[in-house]
Amino acid sequence: MWTRLLHPAHDADGVPDSVLTLTAIILLLRPLDVWWLASFALAAACLSLVFRAVRRTPATWLLLAVLVAARIVAVWPLADNHIYLLAYWCLAIGLALTSPLSAATLSASSRWLLGAAFAMAVLWKALLSPDYVDGRFFRVTLLTDDRFADASLVFGGLSRDQMAENRAFLEPLPEGAALLHPPPFVEPPRLRAFAAAATWGGLALEALVALLFLIPASERVQPARHAALLAFCATTYAVAPVAGFGWLLATMGLAHCRPSQRVLRGSYVGVFILILLYTEMPWTAVLADLTAR
Amino acid sequence: MTPDARPYAAWRSLLPAALLVVVAGAQVALARTAALSPWKGGGFGMFSTTDDSGRRHVRVFVSAHDRSEEVGIAPSLEDAARRAAVLPADRELSRLARRVVEREGRYQRPVDTVRIEAWRIEYAPGTLAATSRLIRDYVYRVDATPASRP
Repeated sequence: MWTRLLHPAHDADGVPDSVLTLTAIILLLRPLDVWWLASFALAAACLSLVFRAVRRTPATWLLLAVLVAARIVAVWPLADNHIYLLAYWCLAIGLALTSPLSAATLSASSRWLLGAAFAMAVLWKALLSPDYVDGRFFRVTLLTDDRFADASLVFGGLSRDQMAENRAFLEPLPEGAALLHPPPFVEPPRLRAFAAAATWGGLALEALVALLFLIPASERVQPARHAALLAFCATTYAVAPVAGFGWLLATMGLAHCRPSQRVLRGSYVGVFILILLYTEMPWTAVLADLTAR
Repeated sequence: MTPDARPYAAWRSLLPAALLVVVAGAQVALARTAALSPWKGGGFGMFSTTDDSGRRHVRVFVSAHDRSEEVGIAPSLEDAARRAAVLPADRELSRLARRVVEREGRYQRPVDTVRIEAWRIEYAPGTLAATSRLIRDYVYRVDATPASRP
């Protein structure tokens, strides 16, 4: 059993190399920010990209899972959620590569991980956070989070001056205090509509992905799963500033494809690149400059 | 047969998701009982609430025989302060308090107690009027067991 962890998987129809290489690329694109872990994780990711034997050895991925988990512990409780998902995913790859039918094992792992992660996201948004369903979260975030500011200017129809005034309005006062002359708060109908679309569109799409991945597969469910996940990745990460999460979801979706689904597999790789472009090209900033008011 | 239905995938394919569910369950419990920010802790509560780390902060007050004052968060304290703001539990708050005592000691400034307030920003439904709300008030006594007020 233990020696199996140290030898490359001998599986002709095993986990696709593309899944393993994309996971290694994610580790390189977003290095762990704890130096004594990052150096080992980067080395393992590089070696797995260069050497097929390293890439297909379970111990490589189990080691990476331990390093990512150690990073979560080292910075507790500050790690973002996609770092947790990365740890589970590396563990899933390592375990799958010890299986005689590794591709099917990893496909099932990706299904359960995607279903569970999206179900938790829906639970928080729909039930546990009162300021999500009443629209407060996106109404505030579109105005106060710099990462969404350009999208708010473009899609919300705000001017930069209005954005600055709104941010002043959203500065907190001590409990019970009130300003004699509060700054104006301008919320154009387009901005309210944008916030509502982000709130309900995001929740509906996440709920759909969770449902489709958690219910048993059928000939109709399988394509619907992929369509929902691809739609989520292609739309959400155009604006949401968490490319690391999007890359992981795309890679997990790829692992859930059958070998014969070449177009679908190409779509996931395309979405991975699309998220990369979203991240590196400040397209909302360019549009905001062009449409500056 | 679909990949989901194959029995050989059982424990290897379920273990990572089972871990996810256990950690996420613990995160929900910590968020409910110890004011952990829903954005953190592995429960996938990001982008669900304005209660994120950027809208939380701590204030630190030190007192001794001849002093009682608020101290700023020095760069050397920022990491501990950020952790305490995100999870204002005894462990994180006492860690920050010990760092404060160590830092004050380096400058020969006496400290008997460290009081830490953890705050978050809330927005009113409808108007979005913003207020700061105290979520934890913690007292660390240098020569005794830490005491805490709700």
